[in-house]
Amino acid sequence: MKATPILRVLSLLLGLAATGCAKEPDLIVYCSLDQEFAEPLIQRFEKETGLAVHAEFDIEAAKTVGLVARIREESKNPRCDVFWNNEVAHTVALASDGLLESYDSPSAKEIPAGFRDPGGHWTGFAARARILIVNTALADPKTITSMWDLVDPKWAGKAVMAKPLTGTTLTHMAALYSVLGEAKAAEYVTRIEQLSMTGAVSLTNGNASVARLVGDGKMAFGWTDTDDFAVAKERGAPVVAVYPDADGCGTLLLPNAIAILKGAPHLAAAKRFEDWVLRPEIEKELAFSRSAQIPVRDSVPRPDGMLSGRQFKVMAIDYGTLGAELEKRAELLKKLFLQ
Amino acid sequence: MSRPLVLASVALLALAGLAPIVWMLMRLESGDVSGIFDARTLTLLGRTSWIGAGAAGIAFVLGLPFGFLVARTDIPGARTLRHAGLVPMLVPPVLLSMTWSVVFTELRGPTAIILVLGISTFPLVAVFSARAFERIDARREEAALLVGGLRSVLAMELPLVLPAAASAACLAFVLAINDFAVPDYMTSIGSKVNVYADEVFASWQSVHSPGKAVAAALPLLVLTLVVLLPALALRRRGSLATWDGDFRRPGALALGSWRWPLFALAFALVAFAAALPIGRLVWEAGGGARGWNFAGFQAAFARAIEVGRADLQRSLLYASSAALISLVPGLVLGHALQRSRASAWLEPLVLAPLAVPAILFGIGYIALWNHPATTTMYSSGFLVVLLFLGRFACFPIFAGAGATATFDPHLEEAARLAHAGPARRLVSIVRPALQSSLFGGAALVFIFGMRELDAAILVPAANGTAMFRVYNAIHFGRDDFVAALALLIVFFILLPGILWSAFGRERWEVAA
Repeated sequence: MKATPILRVLSLLLGLAATGCAKEPDLIVYCSLDQEFAEPLIQRFEKETGLAVHAEFDIEAAKTVGLVARIREESKNPRCDVFWNNEVAHTVALASDGLLESYDSPSAKEIPAGFRDPGGHWTGFAARARILIVNTALADPKTITSMWDLVDPKWAGKAVMAKPLTGTTLTHMAALYSVLGEAKAAEYVTRIEQLSMTGAVSLTNGNASVARLVGDGKMAFGWTDTDDFAVAKERGAPVVAVYPDADGCGTLLLPNAIAILKGAPHLAAAKRFEDWVLRPEIEKELAFSRSAQIPVRDSVPRPDGMLSGRQFKVMAIDYGTLGAELEKRAELLKKLFLQ
Repeated sequence: MSRPLVLASVALLALAGLAPIVWMLMRLESGDVSGIFDARTLTLLGRTSWIGAGAAGIAFVLGLPFGFLVARTDIPGARTLRHAGLVPMLVPPVLLSMTWSVVFTELRGPTAIILVLGISTFPLVAVFSARAFERIDARREEAALLVGGLRSVLAMELPLVLPAAASAACLAFVLAINDFAVPDYMTSIGSKVNVYADEVFASWQSVHSPGKAVAAALPLLVLTLVVLLPALALRRRGSLATWDGDFRRPGALALGSWRWPLFALAFALVAFAAALPIGRLVWEAGGGARGWNFAGFQAAFARAIEVGRADLQRSLLYASSAALISLVPGLVLGHALQRSRASAWLEPLVLAPLAVPAILFGIGYIALWNHPATTTMYSSGFLVVLLFLGRFACFPIFAGAGATATFDPHLEEAARLAHAGPARRLVSIVRPALQSSLFGGAALVFIFGMRELDAAILVPAANGTAMFRVYNAIHFGRDDFVAALALLIVFFILLPGILWSAFGRERWEVAA
């Protein structure tokens, strides 16, 4: 058969596609912190160290599931060196399955023990809080103080949260089982589910949507993360953050978690990267960024108005237990909320 | 038929489309399948089917008359409307949801889901119907016109066109039942509507029982195949029923006093389904609610090009490579499907990659390709090309099969008697006749490749595509930047069609 023009073009494109990503990087990072914030930091690390980093990101819609699924699938032939997760539960689950390397970074010395894995498999930093975002034009923030306000009939049709099947909302609901106990947590999630069937509580596809709906005045208040709240605030929405349950279970703090993969192909570079990211300067930078991550070290400067963990009641949670129970809780919530 | 070429194409299809599915199915254990049908999942499946049927119904009701109007009548601007009518298929459905829910604030709930999915898939029915209407021989039509005017023409043509339109509606059903972003978004306020695709996605959290996650995908796979297989039968009927040996192309039908009212209807549909989302993106790119201005519009595009240039280049490279490569199996297997007795078992195999849920297909790619011996391949863009090819090759293959059905086998026989070998007959005799249909099928590979996210998100090199960048920016990126980047993607998806329409010798057609 003669080589037609199409076949010639084909071979050219194939060649291009095959060689496009052939350069071997010095470090591969999987990162679920938003690309907008993580990418400039990674580029700075490259500049300062001369190491070539190949970073891959998750998208909001995949809620970390994409990268975690890949890490698990790739575990027999690890490709990723460092997993920078923007929440902690999935990282803990990876650690308990033996997929993470132990490393005590010298940069993590000042990080409180509660945000570090005792075995050194992951280190937490730059946290988000699970808060209630309240539109001040529709509700008086003083009247919304507790997680139970979400299921109060007086707010029917005005309360919102993300569907608790993935992301930080799943982690949050799973945490409630630990702090409230089985019966109380089950009562809470069951009431949310029942109210969602009638539209009394709306369930969105993510926390960003919650912040947008409340910011736009379509909903009075709802559960979201502090980074999503910060975006709504920046857009000029009349919103305030309520750190709920000061007299009860407190507010859940979810730190970023950084970890080195077991069998990482570039172990030395991975340790260097972890050391670099865990420096107080990076935590400060993330605090002052649009994502407004809360430093877990008291010594790290933060913007005016950003609370520290000492200024609100932090939910007493053992991240190890939370990660270990995540799959069980996810299955339970799936059966409840997917009907 | 050239046996080596057929075997090579089957091998390519097996590698790109079937191996990841088989790899995943091998994870199933006996206990995994037992729990997949209970009252809860059956409710989800029932609701999903109902939504799919509603969406397919809307796609059918809108697409069939639209296809007729733009392909066969003298309404003003038919050619432009025909191309503009493709836009809803090029824009990710969730972006359509965002647009319409902003413009029509009360639009939500199951009706809204069906409407959005129906409108986003109506171009499929329109394209298939248009093509089928164009296949009706002019002499038949002239006879019908003489007997009873336009009414008789429609009475004669509709039964011939219905199989093609119905098969496209089946495709619309399949796309609708596999979508979970639109139901999620359109019920963000008010009563929640869950669909079975949610179940498939959520099941991947069950990391310690991977077989269960695979099993959760099976009902959707079965439902998809149950609908697609009749669609293929309909396609065959449609293609064989309307094309004769010495075909004479029909001319444009004069609508008389109906010309302008029907133009208004077609225009209104395009305005609602295509111009509104694009207009909304243009508005957002220029500042949106903060106040539109041209300088802001330019700045958003400058930033989108600066940040997204490399991503756009990669998207174009991957999608166009997959589209070009797909011409080969399109020609070889399309021809084989129509001429050989193997079509009964080959057809479901060709369809399977499109029928499986995207997340299962993507994870299958990781499991299949992430090995020490294939590490370089696994990280390269080649794997993205292979994924697009595997998932969407069915389009050119079935386009090729449809076109082969219209091709007189005596010409191939004559070439055989003149001692032309099977490969030469295929390339020199059959290919020219199939070319426009194959390009139409390859265009679909390009379109779906450019907007693909769900499966590709799991393949390393797909991290650097334009669609990935848009979805990444939706969370924290500025609205104007996201809108400008989305517009660039739509423009590049449309570009081949625009070029083909402007400079191509033949019209850009998809064989139905």
